[in-house]
Amino acid sequence: MDRASVWFAARDGKPVHALDRVSLDIPEGAFVVALGTSGCGKSTLLNAMAGFLPLSSGAITLNGHEVHGPGAERGVVFQKDALLPWKTVAENVALGLKFAGVGRKARRERALSLLRLVGLQEFANSAPYELSGGMRQRVGIARALAPDPAILLMDEPFGALDSMTREAMQELLVDVWSRTGKQIFFITHSIEEALFLGTHLIVMSPRPGRIVARFDLEFVQRFARDRDARAIKTAPEFPELRDRVRAIVHQDEVYRSAAE
Amino acid sequence: MRGFGIGDRSTLPISILTAVVIVAAWWGASEARLVPHLFLPTPEEAVNAAISFWRDGYANASMWEHVSASLFRILTAAAIAIALGVPIGLFMGLSRWAKGVFDTPIEFYWPLPPLAYLPLMIIWLGIGEASKIALLTMAMFAPIAIAAQAGVRSVSLERVNAALSLGATRFQLLREVVLPSALPEILTGTRIAIGVGWSTLVAAELIAATQGIGHFVMSASQFLATDFVFVGIGVIALCAFAFSFGMKMLERWLVPWKGQS
Repeated sequence: MDRASVWFAARDGKPVHALDRVSLDIPEGAFVVALGTSGCGKSTLLNAMAGFLPLSSGAITLNGHEVHGPGAERGVVFQKDALLPWKTVAENVALGLKFAGVGRKARRERALSLLRLVGLQEFANSAPYELSGGMRQRVGIARALAPDPAILLMDEPFGALDSMTREAMQELLVDVWSRTGKQIFFITHSIEEALFLGTHLIVMSPRPGRIVARFDLEFVQRFARDRDARAIKTAPEFPELRDRVRAIVHQDEVYRSAAE
Repeated sequence: MRGFGIGDRSTLPISILTAVVIVAAWWGASEARLVPHLFLPTPEEAVNAAISFWRDGYANASMWEHVSASLFRILTAAAIAIALGVPIGLFMGLSRWAKGVFDTPIEFYWPLPPLAYLPLMIIWLGIGEASKIALLTMAMFAPIAIAAQAGVRSVSLERVNAALSLGATRFQLLREVVLPSALPEILTGTRIAIGVGWSTLVAAELIAATQGIGHFVMSASQFLATDFVFVGIGVIALCAFAFSFGMKMLERWLVPWKGQS
């Protein structure tokens, strides 16, 4: 769906090579996870896909249409929830529908069904600031899903959560993914999270940002089927692959510091 | 755990005690004639003057006429200043051209004391209501416009990006995200503007008016009716307090999320 992006980003006059000819194809229904240390260009890649950043060269296409600027067919879940505090939870979820001109009643119905999907139906009329961090991220996911986007872009959405909430959120996200069948592009710097969630994993490296390794995974399909996260994470192939990926990330870091 | 500083502990009893001490000192000083009676009336005389002002008015106008003349001026000017200042300030926050154009006159006249250009207003607009309302509008416009502009600047990029990725048009973005995000700052600016407007109003009425609380204080002072001057100052204080209380209530009602996220 998404192919061949090539470009440079400049900041304070100094050109920064944030992404170097990154090519990526996200198949229908895939869950692609981008992994890398901070500054490796994974957020840049997501921002370009969302349309927040212009490309210097190359192109991003979605369903055959080139991407220019942000749009409702690409839902974004942010690191910080970015909910609007003057609206109730349900109104926040329905925001995209309001922009699209959907009537009040239909908006409310759709918002409630999405809140049911993320397990927050009884908080529909609460203010966002009355919810915990994990709950707010769930509202963020429901809000991004509301306009029925073709793809969900998630920028380290669980990065600020404690590890227990984080695991619960990962399982919830897999549920949402398997029930809606959306393509997901997900950014993280946690190797375990990447392995557990993705059907495809790309490992990125900074200066200039590029993809250094690609893996096809199947842990998430196994979880969607058996719903046993512990069995997956303790099965021998999980830590094995985790160590391989870690070696790639670290090797790359050592190589870079040696070069500097 | 006890926090640093005074925390949430109430200061109300201390404040009441302070007020009692001040009034007692006033009463003591005036009764004992420590100050010539002409300069300092007793509390009782001030109360009597207030009652007489309430019943019979002063300087060819009833108390209500004086107060309503002042309120009319400040409320009209506030309405005009908000109607102009909020959109212009938002526009200044959004567009480089708008900021460039409006910054020049605002930065030039805003630091001036409004009374400095009151004579010019009178030459241009006459001695009537128009000159006073124009003066107040100018004094109140700048803080409101500057606050609205700062409010736009405080909108987080993430909120804007979130709205854009949900398909917001420019107008929807402005109405649903930018304006509510800027509202706390706009209200703070309006509160400052009302304070500025109130002090400008009283000063303008001291100089040029036939009605209004400022004029009442001025004409009482010309007859050395110190007790009536005291009453006038008290009425001004009450009005200013009511305004600031009203703004606080408005803030609580319009932006209950302030400081929450």
